[in-house]
Amino acid sequence: MVDRASLKSTFSSSVNLRADELERVSRDILDHPESGYREIRTSKLVAEWLQNNGFEVKTGIAKTGVIGTLDTGRPGPHIAVMGELDSLLVPGHAHADSDTGAAHACGHHAQIGSMLAVAAGLTESSVIDGLVGKISFMGTPAEEYIELEYRESLQSSGDIEFFGGKQEFIKLGFFNDVDIAMLTHTGGETAGTFGIGGSNNGMVGKTIQYIGKAAHAGGSPHLGVNALNAAHLGLAAIHAQRETFRDADTVRVHPIITKGGAAVNSVPSDVRIETYVRASNVPAILNTSEKVDRAFRAGALATGAMVRIITNPGYLPAKYDESLTEIYRHNAASLIGDDNVIRLNHSSGCTDMGDVSQIMPTIQPTANATSGNGHGIDYLVENYDLAVVKAGKAMGMTVIDLLADGGEKGRKISGSFNAPMTISEYLNRMRGFRSDFTYSE
Amino acid sequence: MIPSDLAEFRAFALRSIDTATRYLISTAKTAYSTPETGFNEYKTAMFVQTQLQALGFVVETGIARTGMKAVLRGAKPGPTIAIIAELDALRVPEHPGADPETGAAHACGHHAQIGSLLGVATALSAPELKNALSGNVAFIITPAEEFIDIQDRLGLKNAGELEFLSGKQEMIRLGTFDDVDMAMMVHTSAINGSSGLSIGGTSNAHVSHQVRYIGRSSHAGGAPDQGINALQAAMLANAAINAQRETFRESDVVRVHGIITGGGSSVNAVPGEVLYEGRVRAKSVEAINPIAERVIRCYRAGALAMGASVEVQTVAGYHSLRQNPLMQKLFIGNAELILGRDSINVVPYDQTHGGSTDMGDLSTIMPVIHPYANSASGIGHGHDYLIEDYDRAVVAPAKVMTATVLELLGDNAQLSRKVIENHEPAMTKQQYVSFQRDRFTKDTYDPT
Repeated sequence: MVDRASLKSTFSSSVNLRADELERVSRDILDHPESGYREIRTSKLVAEWLQNNGFEVKTGIAKTGVIGTLDTGRPGPHIAVMGELDSLLVPGHAHADSDTGAAHACGHHAQIGSMLAVAAGLTESSVIDGLVGKISFMGTPAEEYIELEYRESLQSSGDIEFFGGKQEFIKLGFFNDVDIAMLTHTGGETAGTFGIGGSNNGMVGKTIQYIGKAAHAGGSPHLGVNALNAAHLGLAAIHAQRETFRDADTVRVHPIITKGGAAVNSVPSDVRIETYVRASNVPAILNTSEKVDRAFRAGALATGAMVRIITNPGYLPAKYDESLTEIYRHNAASLIGDDNVIRLNHSSGCTDMGDVSQIMPTIQPTANATSGNGHGIDYLVENYDLAVVKAGKAMGMTVIDLLADGGEKGRKISGSFNAPMTISEYLNRMRGFRSDFTYSE
Repeated sequence: MIPSDLAEFRAFALRSIDTATRYLISTAKTAYSTPETGFNEYKTAMFVQTQLQALGFVVETGIARTGMKAVLRGAKPGPTIAIIAELDALRVPEHPGADPETGAAHACGHHAQIGSLLGVATALSAPELKNALSGNVAFIITPAEEFIDIQDRLGLKNAGELEFLSGKQEMIRLGTFDDVDMAMMVHTSAINGSSGLSIGGTSNAHVSHQVRYIGRSSHAGGAPDQGINALQAAMLANAAINAQRETFRESDVVRVHGIITGGGSSVNAVPGEVLYEGRVRAKSVEAINPIAERVIRCYRAGALAMGASVEVQTVAGYHSLRQNPLMQKLFIGNAELILGRDSINVVPYDQTHGGSTDMGDLSTIMPVIHPYANSASGIGHGHDYLIEDYDRAVVAPAKVMTATVLELLGDNAQLSRKVIENHEPAMTKQQYVSFQRDRFTKDTYDPT
């Protein structure tokens, strides 16, 4: 049996040979950004790459998702290495699509590069022969929880049930036989480091519609019911709740108005809001969600308007597996040194990796390779060697640790994981978040 | 010479008032120096009682706590006209005439009404004028025109001392006006142009809300998540009320204004109880109702938003003022006769400055007039509202009211009978009393 060190060394060398190509692929995606459930080109690019490299590929999963699987033919753990296909919408970003405003202001394009780096290195036959089990490379759609109305339309047409791509993957059964999952996100911590550990908030998403009564805003405002005032009061009422949010819960409620009235000389009668309710734990999400609903209802009560509140399941809080993190840390340190692997704090942002982390051992390290503000117009990947090549190597070496030696470490991590919920419990939980009610006095 | 016709009676009366000028102004100034808030005007009432008794009147006292009535009977029977003066002061602690302890101050000029009422009483109580009158003059001194200190007054109501919360409302209920056919008084106002008097216009009706938010107190630093902030509820309600304003029609002359009377007990505790006093005014009680409904909805929205509960007590306020055209015409005629052609400014019958008076309530059951004596500087109810011209504030109103009474009750009281015949009251006294009773409500809204 070949030892793990030489497997890793062979793996690394073959990744090195593909480094330029992997950066090119990432930059190609950067220049052709597509937002969630619209990643047609990106999906095709990933599928073709995987096919050209000998993978058995499934496409069109949850509209645009792609899976390429590498099966050793020997029983053992099944590991998912993931990359997110979607971009944000940040018009004004240097690499934004001029038509759609889509832009990779969250660095997902580099995730595809690092995922394919793992794939490139592991296909080397002298590496794969030393491993057991299976590795699936998953290009997942729609990690950014945006364009809620579009996703609601996909929901009504039956194309999706959940707004997050990994959630759909879980629902469709693609995680049923997966034991361990990983993905490297880009990050803006100290440049040149990998971040490990950490945790993320969970969330629910809401779309709110206030229905008032239109009237001439100058001539007969007394005949109108101002839906914008209702919304304004609803928002003010949310702010009045903030002092009740506990620090430990890291609550975030941050609405936007997506429709604020039709014409300035008409009393607004249809006003729409989107918001998230985020917190570090599910009870806090539910408790805050109730307060937010109460506040929105108060806006309707005050003005005599009607309000419809649709709550959609968002993402679950992410908690990353410590044993898996430790293996990853060792590999990351071997690439860039102990001091350059840093512990992450809790992040109040959310990810559908959180959902995955509730059902299996999961890690989402960060490759701190960017400049600018995450989700901002100036967020750019500066260090592709770290974000794509080294990130891929650290994950691939971790896969080797898990699947070498008959997959002993992988089995151990999978076996000792105390899952907060099973997949069917997960689906029930998520469906339970959903509500749709209308309130008027 | 014993006067024998209206001109002679009038001339006699005016001379008595001229002679008494210094005395009348001094009575107003005495009242100014003892400002007392409504239903607490014991010193002021005692002072007025003494003055009336000195003029030979039998004074009925202690009506609605501090109110009084003294009736002058003419030689022949006929209608009864009330001359009214209001006893109470406001609370304006920064006013130069304020009582340092209570903050009470005559920032609305009611003290001048004491002087003008005593002027009419001085003139008409002369034996020479008895024959001029076919009917009676009732001098009615009313407590508590300012609709303030509502919680204190509700305390008096609960103790059975009052049922309605203003002096004239309560005196109507108690029957003080049962034998009165019409009423007049002159209120002071800021100097505005050359006319010493003005007449006409209306006033707003109003309603008072006593609002109590019940939340849950907790340590504001240590456990704000355990609290339910009643102050946030009240502030959201206030914001919600402001959001209604675009729906108020100018023609309804809506005014909605509130104060927080209990905003929390200590800053390091989440306020568990907040008290808010709101007022809704509009051109009529009918116009108030839909507005008040919206305002109450806003109070409830504040509670709903925070998960608090809210208790809303509605307190019957005033009706809008409706002035009798014939009485007004006579008052104008006498003002022009006595003070000159440009001495009185007439404003349209539907004009209002947004304020309210319980003369409005009296006007629902009988003909009244409520002219103004333009005699003050500063802003009404402000710290700088001061009577600058006591001749205008006290003497001129006394003269014109006296002359108007002489005209109404002279000549076999033909004109006052005409006033009564042509007047259709909006309500009977009984209707008024039960209407007001129905306006008192108390509801609790608990959204949880």
